[in-house]
Amino acid sequence: MNLRTEKLDLRFGPTAALDEVDLAIPAGDHLLVLGNAASGKTTLLKALAGLCRPTAGAVRWDGDDVYALRPDDRRARQAGFGMVFQTDALFDSLPVLGNVLLPLTNRGVPRAEALTRARDVLGEVGLADAADRFPERLSGGMRRRAGIARAIVARPSVLLADDPLAGLDPHTGLGVARLLLEVSRGRTLVVCATEPPPGLALRRWVWVERGRVTYDGPPDARVLERGAA
Amino acid sequence: MRASAIPAWAGATALEAAQASGALAMVLGRTILQLRSLDRRELVRGLVLFGYRSLPLSGVIATLIGATVVLQTSLYVQRFGARNYLGWAAGFSVVWEFGPLLLGLMMAARVGGRNAAELASLNVGGQLDGLRGISLDPFALLVAPRVVATSLSVAGLATVTFALAVLWEAAAAFFTLGLPVRVFFESFEQLLGFGDLAAGVIKSFCFGLTIALISTTAGLRAQGGARAVGHAAAAAVVWSSAAIFALDFILTPLLGALLT
Amino acid sequence: MSALAGIGAPWLLLARALRQSFRRGVSLREVLRQAYEMGNRSAWLVVSGLGFFGTVMVAIAHQQARRFTGNITVVGPAYFELLVREFGPLTVSLLAAARAAASSSAELASMTVNEQVEALEMSAGDPLADLVAPRVLASAVVVPALCVLGTVAATASAVATVSLAYGADGFSYMDGRFVDWGDVACGASKAVLCGLFIPAAASARGLSARGGAAAVGSAVTLGVVDAALGCLVIDFFIAVLFLLARA
Repeated sequence: MNLRTEKLDLRFGPTAALDEVDLAIPAGDHLLVLGNAASGKTTLLKALAGLCRPTAGAVRWDGDDVYALRPDDRRARQAGFGMVFQTDALFDSLPVLGNVLLPLTNRGVPRAEALTRARDVLGEVGLADAADRFPERLSGGMRRRAGIARAIVARPSVLLADDPLAGLDPHTGLGVARLLLEVSRGRTLVVCATEPPPGLALRRWVWVERGRVTYDGPPDARVLERGAA
Repeated sequence: MRASAIPAWAGATALEAAQASGALAMVLGRTILQLRSLDRRELVRGLVLFGYRSLPLSGVIATLIGATVVLQTSLYVQRFGARNYLGWAAGFSVVWEFGPLLLGLMMAARVGGRNAAELASLNVGGQLDGLRGISLDPFALLVAPRVVATSLSVAGLATVTFALAVLWEAAAAFFTLGLPVRVFFESFEQLLGFGDLAAGVIKSFCFGLTIALISTTAGLRAQGGARAVGHAAAAAVVWSSAAIFALDFILTPLLGALLT
Repeated sequence: MSALAGIGAPWLLLARALRQSFRRGVSLREVLRQAYEMGNRSAWLVVSGLGFFGTVMVAIAHQQARRFTGNITVVGPAYFELLVREFGPLTVSLLAAARAAASSSAELASMTVNEQVEALEMSAGDPLADLVAPRVLASAVVVPALCVLGTVAATASAVATVSLAYGADGFSYMDGRFVDWGDVACGASKAVLCGLFIPAAASARGLSARGGAAAVGSAVTLGVVDAALGCLVIDFFIAVLFLLARA
């Protein structure tokens, strides 16, 4: 899916989270969105996924204005996205397997097929043994893996990850980074972070500052120095 | 299996109840000890936050109580032919029961819920331990002034609510029954004594104190994350509401015997 | 202004939730689970609250009657009618508002703050149909049931108080001679409307929580205040409506 934002404005009350953001993400692109805390990265990701209605401007999926689509159509096409949340956002009332099954059963995949697919994905992320455990019984790294499993189980063409290595120790972080690269092969991948995550070298960097895109190009350490200054 | 589960449940419940009432008693006791050296700024902040800011809400409640009570009593006033006593009957039920009860229930949510949530998020965020770390007593700073402010606020709001509700009742009686405002207030004045009004204010003060104690205890006992804060606020609202009904049950005959 | 929004927004959310649940269907299991939770958690509160309330009302009727007739059994039938039409539905709704609105708004607010509502959307779920509608449907059935329970509790305690404490014939307090279908319809319509409103008010505040733990706390406070205030408003308008219909 080709993603595009056009003069995207998004405000929460008086504060502007996004300010005239123009960004084109062709299908299959791998993109790292960098910025300090509260610069608007998360909001950008959620707007791309059709979760936050913009105040002005548009988000386009293959050219169609997302927020002009009928809610049911939008929900149907949202299936093309998988999102890994910063807080993991696992449903605490369901075990890991239930969390991963939900995107499938909600889309009407037959129970038997959904179970096989969910178990396959859990094997892929290395959680085959933890399928019946509840989220509160998981370590940080396992929760992140479960979040990734839930995001990719419906085979989305775009994978969005909001600070996926935050709060993980370096070793676990490297594992999660490797997993993200593996599962995003052949897909669009957009990752948000405050600094380039080790082990997750992506070919395009975007720097966001106070809701504006101030750099868009190949990895460049000077961007970080300018941002820190 | 089942047989052993029941004593275990009873034991856990009793333990929980003992802990909770111990915590309540401690909050009350320490507040009384702090009474003479209350932090003035926090007290004023509490009065503004819990009392002054709740004025619009208590105005709305007063309007609804006043109008509803007249609507309901007017039927019987006509049926029993006691038009001239409407002022007294309506005023009596507002001051003795509906004023304190409905105001108490609303304040359990607004003031109790907010107080518990604020203390719980300070507690969960580690700020209370932070205060202790720089040798400030969170109790003197946050708890005692709030308990006093909440009790005073609810009693004060009750007075305002009574006055407004009675005014609305007079207006409602005029419009629905064509009862002259003068007749309404005459029966109100002649039959309603100072004792009745005092009973209503005392009741409200006790409700306020209960709300303050329960919500503070719930806030200080919160442990965990965002979920715990929500849980503390919800528990404060529910237990305060339950306590208000129980207290009403004890206070009504007691005040009735003492003041009338 | 914010009070008006607090009364208006839930109706809007209610309409959207019902429309969305017609389109997508609602899980009956989830409705039953919510109904069980709500009934189970509120029943003791309603029974004990209304039990106390029944006694208090008798004590007050006694004080009032003492000044005139001296015979508290005279007001019995009127008391019972008022209980069915007014006190029962109002008091039970307020208690249900405290109990159910507090727990629903806390639950939904912490889901919202922890991005679980967005995660549900990304999992092809619908927050309105999956989270709000089951609560609304359950509560529309449970609150009227609690009303019946509460009315029974208040009547029983009134009968007991009059018989034991005042030594009069307590059964005049369950004398239904004044109660007609209008009273029952009035009480029932209040209970159903409050039942619909309470979870809608709680959900409206819960789903719009923004921020961290503090936002969850204020969502609970606002949710319960909106729900309780909404019940008072509903109670008033239905009372006016039935009074006009009677006239």
